[in-house]
Amino acid sequence: MPRGVGRGAEPPSEEISEGPRLWVRLALLLPFTAILALFFTVPLVLMAVISLSRQSFARFEWALTFKNYVRFFSDPFYVGVLWDTLWLGFLVTAAALLLGYPLAYHLARTRTRWKPVLLVFILSPLLVGIVIRCYGWMILLADRGLINGTLIEGGWISRPLPLMYNQFGVGLALVHVFLPFMVLSLTGVIKRIDPALLEASMTLGASPARAFWEVTLPLSLPGILAGSLLVFSLAISSFVVPILLGGFKVYVLPIIVYEQILSVFDWPFGAANAFILLLISLGIITGYIKVAERALRGLV
Amino acid sequence: MTLATGNDVELRGVTKRYGPILALDTFSLQVGAGEFFTLLGPSGCGKTTALRSIAGFITLNAGEVFLKGTRVTDLPPHRRRVGMVFQHYALFPHRTVAQNVAFGLRMQKVPKGEIADRVEKTLALVQLPRYAGRFPRQLSGGEQQRVALARALVTRPTVLLLDEPLGALDKKLRERMQVELKRLQREVGITTIYVTHDQEEALTMSDRIAVMQSGRIEQVGTPLEIYECPQSAFVADFIGNINLLRGTVIGHAEHQAAVDCRGAKLRIGALPGAVAPEAVMALRPEKVRLNPSEPLDNDLAATVVHLVYLGDSVLYHLRSDEGIELQALELAQAGGVRHQAGTRVRVGWRSEDASLLPLTSSPLPRGERLGEGG
Ligand SMILES: Nc1ncnc2c1ncn2[C@@H]1O[C@H](COP(=O)(O)OP(=O)(O)OP(=O)(O)O)[C@@H](O)[C@H]1O
Ligand SMILES: [Mg+2]
Repeated sequence: MPRGVGRGAEPPSEEISEGPRLWVRLALLLPFTAILALFFTVPLVLMAVISLSRQSFARFEWALTFKNYVRFFSDPFYVGVLWDTLWLGFLVTAAALLLGYPLAYHLARTRTRWKPVLLVFILSPLLVGIVIRCYGWMILLADRGLINGTLIEGGWISRPLPLMYNQFGVGLALVHVFLPFMVLSLTGVIKRIDPALLEASMTLGASPARAFWEVTLPLSLPGILAGSLLVFSLAISSFVVPILLGGFKVYVLPIIVYEQILSVFDWPFGAANAFILLLISLGIITGYIKVAERALRGLV
Repeated sequence: MTLATGNDVELRGVTKRYGPILALDTFSLQVGAGEFFTLLGPSGCGKTTALRSIAGFITLNAGEVFLKGTRVTDLPPHRRRVGMVFQHYALFPHRTVAQNVAFGLRMQKVPKGEIADRVEKTLALVQLPRYAGRFPRQLSGGEQQRVALARALVTRPTVLLLDEPLGALDKKLRERMQVELKRLQREVGITTIYVTHDQEEALTMSDRIAVMQSGRIEQVGTPLEIYECPQSAFVADFIGNINLLRGTVIGHAEHQAAVDCRGAKLRIGALPGAVAPEAVMALRPEKVRLNPSEPLDNDLAATVVHLVYLGDSVLYHLRSDEGIELQALELAQAGGVRHQAGTRVRVGWRSEDASLLPLTSSPLPRGERLGEGG
C-alpha cells in the first residue's frame, strides 16, 4: 500500500461541519434522554449500589463492599462462565456475519420485484415467538429429533449426534434469530456503495474478487461494525435460548444472574454478575469501535 | 488473436438489445491512435452503451470489439487496459488522492518506488501536486475530476473513455476543464473517446465527432464537416441552431436548386448528391441577413415576430409574408437591438449558404420546426 505517498507535503485540510445550533440539538435529544434517565440510568445506579452491598439471612444491608466482585473473580467456575459467554457471543457474531454478508449483498443489489418477499423471509425469525422458535429447533436437534432420527433410521449413524444441550445448539438458535439484525445493518450500507466504484476498480485492473476486497468490503465496514455490535451484545445477554437449548448444560452469565436473583435470592451477587457482564462487554465494544474507527478513517 | 487494423479502437457491427430497445444497432466505429473522438447525441441514443461495450461491461448480442488490433470482445473489463472517467468521478472515498491514483499501478504490481514516482508525476500533470494526502470528499468537483483523470491516465491505458465527465460542473468550470482536458490529451497523446450531449463541447474539443441517433451513427466527421456540411436534417438540427424548411424541389442543375416553400421560390447552392422531390432546406441563422445593402439570391419580406437578446448577439424570430418562419442571428450593434418586434424587414441569404438535405423519416430532436416551412 502506498500509504506514505506524498505524505507531509501538506496536512489534510481542516473540515468544518455546519450543523443545527446547540440548543436545537439539545432539544431534539431531550425526550429520549429523559426516558433513558428514568428507566435505564436510575435502575442501573440502583443495581450498582446493590452489587456493592451485603446479604445476610435473605435480606440485604446497605454497605460498601467489593466482596461480591472478589467472590466472582476468585471462583474459576464464574470466570469460566464469563469466558464461555463471551466466546459464544464471538462465535454467534462471526457466524452471523459470514452467513449474513452474502444475503445482505444480494438483497442490496437485486432488482427483483420479489424483494419485499425476500425481506419478510429474512425477518421471519423475528416474527416467531422465542419459545416456539426454540421448540422448533428442539424438534430438529433433539437426540430423537428429526435430524438424528432420520440419520439413525437410515443407518448412517448408530448414536445420535450431539446437536443440542451444547454450545452448538445454542449458537445455532442464536444465529438464527439474530441474523436479521446483521443482514439489515449490512444491506443499508452496501446499498449505498456506488456500483461505479466497482467498475472503476475493474477498469483499473482489479479482478472481481480483488474489487470486492479493495472496494466493497472496506466500504461495508460501517455495516459490519454496526451489525456485529448489535449481534454481539444481543448474544451475550441472551437468556431464554441458552436455557431451552442448553438445558442448563450451557451456562452463560445471564443464567447465573437469573438464578442468583430469583432462586438463591442473593441480589447483591446477582447484581455484581450483571455488572461484570455489562462492564466487560462495554470494554470489548469500546475496543472494537476504536479499532474499527482506525479502519474507517476517511469513510464517514 | 491479432488483426492489424491500424486503429486503437474499433467496433464492428456491435448490437446490444435491452428487451425491445436496441441500444446499439450494428454500430461500427474506428478511432485512430492519439485521436480525440466524440460520441454526440441526444439522451438515450446509446452513447454510454457504446462506451461501456468498449470497457467490457456489456455482453454484446452481436459484433466485435478491437483494441489496438486485438480482439477483446470476450475479455473481462480488468484485462482490457482501458482508462475510464465516470460522470460522478467514482473516486474511492476510503482512499486518499494518492491512493486513488496509485490503485491501478498496484493492480499491475508496479514496484512501490515507481508507484510513488508515477503518482507524483501524474498529480503534477493534472495540477494537483499538493493534494496527495486528502480524501476525495475534501475536494471540489473540479479537483475530483482531475483526480479521476489522473487515476485513469497513470496506468497508460490504450484508450481513455470519458462519459460526460464535465456534466456535474457549472458552466464556468466546465469551460475551463474543457481546455484543460484538451491540453492534457494533447500532452499525453492518448487516444480518447468522449461522450457528451453538449454539441458546443463536442465542437470545441474533438478531432472527429460521431453524431448518434437511436443506437446508430448518423454522421462521422471533423467538427467543421459536421457543422458546415451536415448530411441529414437530424445532424443539422442537433449541431447548433438551424432553420429547416421543408419544400418541393421544382428544378435543379449541378450546383443550384430551386425549392418551392409555401409558394416562395428559394434558391439553394450545396447539393449532396441525389435530389428527392421532397426535401429540406437547411440554413444557419447567422447566414440570414436583415435588410441587406445589396440584393441577395433569396429575398423575402417578413415581420419580426419576437427577438431574444443574447448579450453579444440578437436572435430574431421572423415570419415571411408567405408564412415561412425563420430565425436570424445578428451580432449586437453598438446601438443595441437594430429591429424591434413588429417591424417589417427584408430577409436575404446567399444561395450557397443554404443546403438541401434529404427528408429523413427519423424524428428530429426538435421535431415540430421541420413542418413550419411547408
Ligand atoms: N441496463 C439497462 N437496462 C435496460 N435498458 C437500458 C439499460 N441501459 C441502457 N438502456 C437503454 O438503452 C438505451 C441507450 O442507453 P444509453 O445509456 O447508452 O444512452 P445515452 O446515450 O448514454 O443517454 P444519456 O445521454 O441520457 O446518458 C436507452 O434507451 C436506455 O433506456
Ligand atoms: Mg449516458
